[in-house]
Amino acid sequence: MSDVLYLKRKQHIRRAFLFMALLILALSMINDQGGQWHQVWQKLPLLLTGSMEGWPLNGGFILNIFIGIASMAIATVLGLFLGLMMLAKRRWLSLPGRAVMNFLRNAPWLVLLFAMLYLLPYRVELMGWHFTLSPLFKAIVGLSLPTAANFAEVIRGAVNSVHSGQWESARSLGYSQWQIYRIVILPQALRRIIPGWMNLYALLAISTALATVTGVQEVVTLLRTTLATESENSLVYFYITVLLMFFCYCYPIALLARRLENHTKGDAI
Amino acid sequence: MFGLDFSWLLDPTYQQWLIQGVLQTLELAAISSLFAILIGLLGVYGLLLRRAWLDASIELFVEVFRNTPPLLQMLFFYFTLTQIGLTTLDPVTGLQVPVVSAFMSAVFSLSLFGGALCIEAFRSGFDAVPKATLEAARALGYSRWGMFRHVQVPIAARICLPPLTNVLTNLFKTTSQASVITVPELMYAAGQIYNDTFRTLEVMLFILLVYVVLVSLVVWGIGWVQRALIYPGYGA
Repeated sequence: MSDVLYLKRKQHIRRAFLFMALLILALSMINDQGGQWHQVWQKLPLLLTGSMEGWPLNGGFILNIFIGIASMAIATVLGLFLGLMMLAKRRWLSLPGRAVMNFLRNAPWLVLLFAMLYLLPYRVELMGWHFTLSPLFKAIVGLSLPTAANFAEVIRGAVNSVHSGQWESARSLGYSQWQIYRIVILPQALRRIIPGWMNLYALLAISTALATVTGVQEVVTLLRTTLATESENSLVYFYITVLLMFFCYCYPIALLARRLENHTKGDAI
Repeated sequence: MFGLDFSWLLDPTYQQWLIQGVLQTLELAAISSLFAILIGLLGVYGLLLRRAWLDASIELFVEVFRNTPPLLQMLFFYFTLTQIGLTTLDPVTGLQVPVVSAFMSAVFSLSLFGGALCIEAFRSGFDAVPKATLEAARALGYSRWGMFRHVQVPIAARICLPPLTNVLTNLFKTTSQASVITVPELMYAAGQIYNDTFRTLEVMLFILLVYVVLVSLVVWGIGWVQRALIYPGYGA
């Protein structure tokens, strides 16, 4: 069978799976004998937004998304610095950068999150201003550290994938080191950085479930407190609902990242 | 040092807990890595058969496990597997206990999670096996399984090792989440110790260090295997 036909058939079957999954879900919701879907339906606003009426936004899955975006923002800045540090020619810059990156990448996210929870002080004083560091803030910082390390690695890989001839020709044209980075290398590396960045965001969005250990009212915390009051036979339904939330949010991002990745694959730069 | 108190490390009780935690973590990681690799091989073999429905099913499996939090997967399997109704009489306490322990459900969930990552990692490696080599193998009369075993796996395994390192370290790090379902591994031991000593920061920093050392050892070990397996003149 030729490749095109095969892929087309696979696409059909993929659609059939999606259709079947939706059908089974719909049928089990209609034929709701034990009333489990009803229970899920009643708690759905709570799981999504953290309040029973769906407003105001107190937590829930919305908070997961918020944690993800905030951590990603911090991680992007930190990762950029760390990545450029690792790429530096000077060893006193690149060695510490590499050490920090390896440490953060080899540490489990959960343990790092816990460590940040206790490492960051409860109150900080900055230029006469007093801040109270909330568990939410600590969770965001704790999740952004491993993401930053991974992002630094993405940057390093992307910059190294730019052909060395580009460096040489830019240098022979009289560009300075910083100009080469800014004008020649980074714009080309960006094509590879963006898919990696998106993949990382999908990974981070999944990992926001870990923020439950800091006690913030995100979806897993709410799920577990909800389950404590619901009957045991609805447990599976609640879990499937929350798993689906994450899947529906992360899968499109991962899919888009893979598309972009395939676009850049194999182009010689 | 910095007002940190690490004197609890000298207590034999805590040392015992830590050692047991490390052993349990290693056991959990080793067993689930093994199963994950097996699932990965099985999955990639399924992909090579080029049956569209099998391919799509494997893809579904991979995407579901890759795009949901391992923590939730673990909680899900823990509650469903232990409540599935299979109980046995515990000879010690005389109580009905679930057949599936927390450890077993952690292994189950981590194997599936790791397996999904392995399939993804192996796929690229198997794609990189040169077509001409496969045609040559087919011309020599290898069966599909024989070709898989004697030609594709040996070549692809060497290409796969760098991404496999990522997968296995990821899996190793994810074992720390098994503490949430009360598997007595390193992270759980840490919780016990700081509940006892109230030295939360010191315990967590120490545990962080232990994990980093363990994961670095895994990385180094696979790197060693990779260098040992290299075909002279083939690949980098």
